[in-house]
Amino acid sequence: MHNSYRTQSAKIIGISWQTNNIKLFRFEFEKKVLGHSPKIKPGQFMELSLPGFGEAPFAPCNAPDSDYIELCVRSAGRLTEKLHSMKIGDKVGLRGPYGNGWPVVENNKLPLAKQNVLIIVGGLGLVPLRTLILGKEKFLGKESKVQIFYGARNPDDMLFRHEYNLWKKNGIEIELTVDKECANWKGCVGLVTGLFDKKEVVQNSTAFLCGPPVMYRPVLEKLLAQKFEEDEILLSLERRMHCGVGVCQHCAVGPYYTCKHGPIFSWAQLKNIPSAI
Amino acid sequence: MNRAQLENFIAYLKKENWVVFGPSKLATGKPEPIEISPYLTAHGQMPKQEPTVFIGALDQPSDLILDQRLPFYSFKKFFFPEKEILFDYRNNLLAEQDDHTKIALVGVNLLDLKAINLYDQVFEKDKYYQARRRNALIIGHAIVPNIEDNIFEYKYEEEVLEHLPFDIFLATSATKNFKIFTGSIKGQRILEAFGYTDYEHVQYSGAVKEKDKDKRMEEIEKGLVNRHNQKIWDELGKKCLECGKCSLICPTCFCFRIDDVPTAKNCGQRQRCWDSCFFKEFSEVAGPPRVDKQGRIEAGGHKFLKNPAERIHFWYYHKFVRIPEEFDFMGCVGCRRCAKVCPVGIDIFEVLKEVENS
Repeated sequence: MHNSYRTQSAKIIGISWQTNNIKLFRFEFEKKVLGHSPKIKPGQFMELSLPGFGEAPFAPCNAPDSDYIELCVRSAGRLTEKLHSMKIGDKVGLRGPYGNGWPVVENNKLPLAKQNVLIIVGGLGLVPLRTLILGKEKFLGKESKVQIFYGARNPDDMLFRHEYNLWKKNGIEIELTVDKECANWKGCVGLVTGLFDKKEVVQNSTAFLCGPPVMYRPVLEKLLAQKFEEDEILLSLERRMHCGVGVCQHCAVGPYYTCKHGPIFSWAQLKNIPSAI
Repeated sequence: MNRAQLENFIAYLKKENWVVFGPSKLATGKPEPIEISPYLTAHGQMPKQEPTVFIGALDQPSDLILDQRLPFYSFKKFFFPEKEILFDYRNNLLAEQDDHTKIALVGVNLLDLKAINLYDQVFEKDKYYQARRRNALIIGHAIVPNIEDNIFEYKYEEEVLEHLPFDIFLATSATKNFKIFTGSIKGQRILEAFGYTDYEHVQYSGAVKEKDKDKRMEEIEKGLVNRHNQKIWDELGKKCLECGKCSLICPTCFCFRIDDVPTAKNCGQRQRCWDSCFFKEFSEVAGPPRVDKQGRIEAGGHKFLKNPAERIHFWYYHKFVRIPEEFDFMGCVGCRRCAKVCPVGIDIFEVLKEVENS
C-alpha cells in the first residue's frame, strides 16, 4: 500500500543567500524521469524532511516547467537551521505537493470573475507567488494585468530583488515599501497597506494575499473599502501541517483543512471562522 | 454459545497465535489509576462505586469480563497507538517498520465499535492503520436491552449491528447464552475453523443509516455553526485547565504530531504520537520567537488558537461539525469518558445542551 509519509530523496544542487537569514535552495530529485518535471501548481506546498530534525511545509517557488524545485527558507528553528548548514550535494527528503494552489488558466481562461491580479504580500509571503509571477503568461494569461504590493522590513530583506527588473519587463507592476526610513531607500515607507493610499490599484482585479498573520486584517479592510467582493479576495494561510493529507488536525480551520482544501481560501470562505487569520 | 464455549474459543484463538485482549482487570482497593474528579466529589456527585474495569491481555480465557461497564480506557490504542514508529532512520535513510502481530479484541462494546467506524474513515489511506486493521479480529459484545448510560440513547438491535464494524458479535441474551453474529468473512472463517456454525451473518452496510438522518447531530451542528454563542466558550475557557485528559481518553480523538526521536548518533525513529488540540503549541507556526544577529526580534511562534476558549471550541467543532461534514456521523460516541476524567467537571452532555439551546 502507498505510504503517504514516504519521502523522495532530493539533492541540493544550488544555494543562494536571499537575506542574512533566508536562503534559496535548489533541489533535484534523485530518481529523475527524463523530460518529466515535477507537477506542482503555484501556491501548493511540499513537506521537507531531514531525518533527525523532522519535517515542515514549504511552498516551492521555482520557475514553471523546471526539472528542479526551489524552496526559499528562513532559518527559524531546528529543521531550518540544519538545512541552512547543508551544502550542495547534500540530500533531503521531499513529499507532496499538497493543497489546491492559486487559480490558474484552464482552457485558455482564468477561472475568475475579475481577470487582473493584485498581489499583496509581506515578508516571506512573496515566496508562494514567485512561480505564478515567473510563469505569468502561462498561469494568468497574456491579457491579465498583474500588480504587486510588497512590504518588507528593509530593502535588504526584499526577496528575489534582483529579478524585479525582469518581472517588470514581463509587464508586471511592482510597488515596494519598507517598514522604516533607511539610507539608500528612496521608495515608499510604511506598511504594505500604505501603498493603497499612494498607488493606483489595478482595476477589475482579484486580490491574492500572502504574508505574516498580522498583515491580513489591515489589508482586508483596505480591499473591502476598495469594493473588492469577499470571494474576490484570496488568502494563502500559514499553518504547521504535520501530515499534509488532512488527518492530523493541526491545520484545521473551521470545516476546512489548510493542507487539503487550502492553503488558498477566499475571504468569503473564512470570514465567519474564528481564529482563521 | 455459552460461556464455556466462549472460553474455549478464546483458548483456540491464542493457540492460533492471536494475542487476545479484552475487559479483564478490575480496579481493587489497592491504588489503581481510577480518576475521581475532585470537582465531582466536592459537589457530591460521586459516580456509582462499581469497580472500574480495564482492558488487558487475557492470560486466561476466564479473565474476560463481559457486562455493561464501559472499560475505563477505550480500545483506541489498539487501532491508533499513542506512539508508533513510522520509520527508523539512519543518517538520511528512512526504513519502514512492519509489524504483523495478530490481535484479537474480545468484548468490544457498542460505543467503542462506533469509534472504529471513525478510525476506518479517517485512516482509510493510512498504510500503518490498514496493516494493523488487517491483523485485528474484532469481537463485539452487548447485553440486551440497551446501555442506559448512553447520552444518545442507541438501542441494541440489528439495525445498530448493521452499521458497526466487527468480525464477530456476542449478544448476551436473558438466558446468559450468547447469540453469535458475524460481520465479516474473516469472522465466519475463524468461527468455522474453530468448529462453531450456529451463527447469523449481518451484512455491514456502512457507518451511516441512510433512512433516518441523525437529528441530534444536525441540531448540534446548527447550534455551533449558525448560532455561535461566544459566551459558552468564554465560560468554558475560564474553567478549562487544558490538561488534555479528555482528548487522551476520548475514543474518537486522533490528533497527532510527527516527531523525529534520536536513539543514537545519526539514527532514531520518526514517530507519530497522540497530540491534543488543548496544548498551546498545537497551532503554533514557525518556531519560537527569536532574536536575529542584529538584535531584532524575529516574528514567529504565532498561535492561531490563542486562548483556552478558542482551543476548547476547536475540540467541539471538530467532533460536531468537521467530522459530520466529512463522514456524515458525529465525532462523539456518547461514552462520557471525557466528563469522568475532567478535573474541573466539564461535562460534554451539559455543554451540548447549551449549544443546542443557544
